[in-house]
Amino acid sequence: MALLSVENLSKTFQTPRGAVHAVRDVSFAVARGECLAVVGESGSGKTTIANMILGILAPTQGAIRFDDHALPSRRRPEHRQAIQLVQQNPLSSLNPKRSIGASVRLGLDTYGIGDRAGRWDRVAAALEEVGLPPEMRRRAPSALSGGQRQRVGIARALACEPELLVLDEPTSALDVLVQARVLRLLNDLRARKQLTYIFITHDLAVVRNVADRVAVFKAGELVELGETRQIFTAPAHPYTRGLIGAVPVVDAEELHLRNTLAGEN
Amino acid sequence: MTDLLDIRGLTLGFRGLNGYTEVLHGIDLSIARGERVALVGESGSGKSVTARIILGLLQETRTARVAGRVNFDGRDISSMRARPRAALRGTDMSMIFQDPTSSLNPTFTIGRQFAEVMRRREAGLSQKACEARATAMLEEVSIPDPARVLSAYPFQLSGGMNQRVMIAMALVNNPKLLLADEPGTALDVSVQAQTLTLMQDLVARHNTAVLLISHNLGVVREFADRVYVIYRGRIVETGPTAAIFDRPGHAYTRALMAAVPRITGAGLPEVPEVSDDFLAPMVTHPEAT
Repeated sequence: MALLSVENLSKTFQTPRGAVHAVRDVSFAVARGECLAVVGESGSGKTTIANMILGILAPTQGAIRFDDHALPSRRRPEHRQAIQLVQQNPLSSLNPKRSIGASVRLGLDTYGIGDRAGRWDRVAAALEEVGLPPEMRRRAPSALSGGQRQRVGIARALACEPELLVLDEPTSALDVLVQARVLRLLNDLRARKQLTYIFITHDLAVVRNVADRVAVFKAGELVELGETRQIFTAPAHPYTRGLIGAVPVVDAEELHLRNTLAGEN
Repeated sequence: MTDLLDIRGLTLGFRGLNGYTEVLHGIDLSIARGERVALVGESGSGKSVTARIILGLLQETRTARVAGRVNFDGRDISSMRARPRAALRGTDMSMIFQDPTSSLNPTFTIGRQFAEVMRRREAGLSQKACEARATAMLEEVSIPDPARVLSAYPFQLSGGMNQRVMIAMALVNNPKLLLADEPGTALDVSVQAQTLTLMQDLVARHNTAVLLISHNLGVVREFADRVYVIYRGRIVETGPTAAIFDRPGHAYTRALMAAVPRITGAGLPEVPEVSDDFLAPMVTHPEAT
């Protein structure tokens, strides 16, 4: 059964220069425990869709259903708690003046999770879950490395006990070695806690290795949706082939695949 | 012919509250005329400070201690006076930064910024001559409507467009060396791919040497003739691009390669543990001749 489904979703922004159709008539569903990658270039509507799912933006048209209920555009706390966001740049998304622990705890206080006395234990547990020492809660974000900060971003979302995580370019600000570790962590967490992911990224090599299915967006429209393996071996839309063809690759096997796909253009 | 850039035994340290911290421990690096060389490493490895030393910027920072020889076009940059060193920037060597939109000045039009760059080379260049040269250069980077772009402000243009403007500006004075710090990583894959092809094409036409600084191994493989891998302020491996990618010899290079996710889908990349092997001596691949 689908945990989240989006039906004929559209978002139009009114600007002085006329209407901008950021998202047009998009429908897809995410099953419980699944990882759906949302890919596309800047301006393709990825972030607008994420913001509508998170309840930050109200759709112009269409509906979002979560756990078999229609989500109102004014979200109730339990909806906000169940759908959490992990942002791209943890340095700018964590409050620099707040300790790591206070940032992670904020969601617990907001949604009233656990009793007051037990919340610091929950913070410690969330930090441990992402592989950080619980003592780190006293530190400021500036004292952490990029990888550690992104782990804090994940811990902050996890502490709220969500069902769905919207991951907005969670590893693109990280070095390859750190990225590899964070991707492993995300994968382990999904399996262990039966989480559902919407993974927004423009890094197709990452998508290939983490997603179950891929949704490709172009100029606000969903142009292709399919199983990851199928998208990467037989992409149906020329735009998808173009995206895969633009990925800088490192080994001969990849080069071969890319050339094969490009040849079909 | 001697190399355009020849760095020997470069060390850099900073004086700070906790005493002296050395961040580069003796780097040797050379670039021939027209050659495309990549410097690969993770954040904090020392790749960007190396570029800043080549530009002569860190030598002017009071807390930095730079030692070693940096020869550029037959002259030692580190022993130069500040003024002639500053005169090299934007003329014989220029730089492209990671995020094009934030490195252009939002309060001036593209045309005005172009003129400023060109007048570094020729102080008395007329407005008309500037415009003509800038137009020609923008055409070279495949900008369809140069007149519109020249009268626009950076925030009125897309990221991809600004990136092209930056490349055009960096190359307008026909520099001998172009330093490119993670060009296009702030952009989409398709724009990034275009940026690389464009740069490749242009530097070949103008015989410009390039030092590409990147942590993206895919980009490096597609762009560079030769690669230096840097880890914690030391070069750990160097050689022709093909040799490094086919037969990575150093434990750190192998770890980097293993960590890159593949589009062929070999599963989640291996997570190599940081080991003492990363500090092993440098591996040098013979030049392919």
